[in-house]
Amino acid sequence: MNIVQLFLDYASALVLPAILVGFPLYGMIRKVRVYEVFVDGAKEGFHVAVMIIPYLIAILFAIGMFRASGAMDFLTDLLRPVVGLIGIPAEVIPMGIVRPLTGSGSVGIVLDMISQFGEDSIFVKMAATMFGSTETTFYVIAVYFGAVNIRKTRHAVPAGLIADIFAMIAAVYVVLFLFG
Amino acid sequence: MLNYIWGGLIVLSLVFALTSDITDFVQDTYRNGTPLPVTIIFEEEYHADTRRQYVEVQLSGTDLTAHYGDSTMTGNTWPGVLLQTSAGRELRFAEEASLAEPLQTICQETGQEDCRGALQGIPAGTEWQTAITFRSVRWVKMNAIAGAALDFARTAVTLALGLIGGLGLWMGLLKIAEASGMLQALVRFTQPLIRPLFPKVPKDHPALGLIVLNLSANMLGMGNAATPLGIKAMQELQTLNETEDTATDPMVMLLTMNTASVQILPPVTLVAIMGLQINQLFFSILITTGLSLIVGITAVKLLGRLKRYREVTS
Repeated sequence: MNIVQLFLDYASALVLPAILVGFPLYGMIRKVRVYEVFVDGAKEGFHVAVMIIPYLIAILFAIGMFRASGAMDFLTDLLRPVVGLIGIPAEVIPMGIVRPLTGSGSVGIVLDMISQFGEDSIFVKMAATMFGSTETTFYVIAVYFGAVNIRKTRHAVPAGLIADIFAMIAAVYVVLFLFG
Repeated sequence: MLNYIWGGLIVLSLVFALTSDITDFVQDTYRNGTPLPVTIIFEEEYHADTRRQYVEVQLSGTDLTAHYGDSTMTGNTWPGVLLQTSAGRELRFAEEASLAEPLQTICQETGQEDCRGALQGIPAGTEWQTAITFRSVRWVKMNAIAGAALDFARTAVTLALGLIGGLGLWMGLLKIAEASGMLQALVRFTQPLIRPLFPKVPKDHPALGLIVLNLSANMLGMGNAATPLGIKAMQELQTLNETEDTATDPMVMLLTMNTASVQILPPVTLVAIMGLQINQLFFSILITTGLSLIVGITAVKLLGRLKRYREVTS
């Protein structure tokens, strides 16, 4: 039974149109000058996107360099014995390192792992769970804080990383528990 | 902390790139300047006066192993072109030829579009035993990090500009929602649930409604909608901010709830990759994301009490 797919189809097929039509429709009922108000709001889209650019450049170029330097492989080797102690297989370490840094990079890793271990492999399940249960932390920080010009992020980074690290470890155990 | 991580990423890239390049240099990974034995097989026979001739290039496993000191390399035959110029004879591998490392890297680094090297001696017969010398390869990783920095800076702009459409659409819709009183109604309904996490946001503030919308979009796996909604929520929170550039407690909370991600439905990208397999992972993702969200919220609350992370008030 393809429940998730079905639910997802319904959600994307119904929720978005309902909002796209519902918001202006309700506005019209409440006598809002919908067109004028919409344009007024939409103007901001461009402004926000441009505001984000310096933050994204800063974050992405540093991450790009880091990936290109081969540091990931080194970190993987470095972490192997450490995470091995708490029962995390070495195969999923790259995912754990890359996930908070880049979204496209983590997609690549899942695809690599599928071709290397096969779709049914427990490692792929772990990596996909890691992918699905966390976000690209640094990208989200750049976009959300960049949009309002926040540079001093206080405890956002440590809190985000704590949640990420926990999710990486939890993903392994949850998958082992459900499929192991 | 972001300052240290950011600086660390950049400095570490340099350190790793440099280490890797120096290792290559010391071990002479690419055998710069040393000819590699190769057999060129002519389709019919060698023509001395033709500038381009299609040939087969044969590299034997023993030669490759001896040359590069890598016993996993195996020999093969690739299509190629023999080029004769005034400077001498060159061999060019066909574009589709897939070569093993380190040949792959040598080709990427030296060829503008193709992979070529200089040949020794004069062709004879239909099978010509000769040797090929590739151009010298140095500073592979240093070039790579410089290239990546530029590439990703460009990607950043592309990404940001790509957001304009979605941002504009949602900002417009949200303005209507605000003007029509929808947002305020949403705030009244949902604030008992959401306000405990954002105690510093005043009662009935529109930011609460936007936070609810952002989190709901995330739960439904609608990443495209979640980002504009989250940005709009941040803007509302910024109106409550007494400083210009320092995150407030509610901002950090909203951000962490987004990075830890609240998801009931898996993200669309993952569904695309995993296909039907995703059904099996539904519960593992739900449990993991739920647990990490709790950890994230707890971390925000606890870290916020530390002296170094105290909220700045002017």
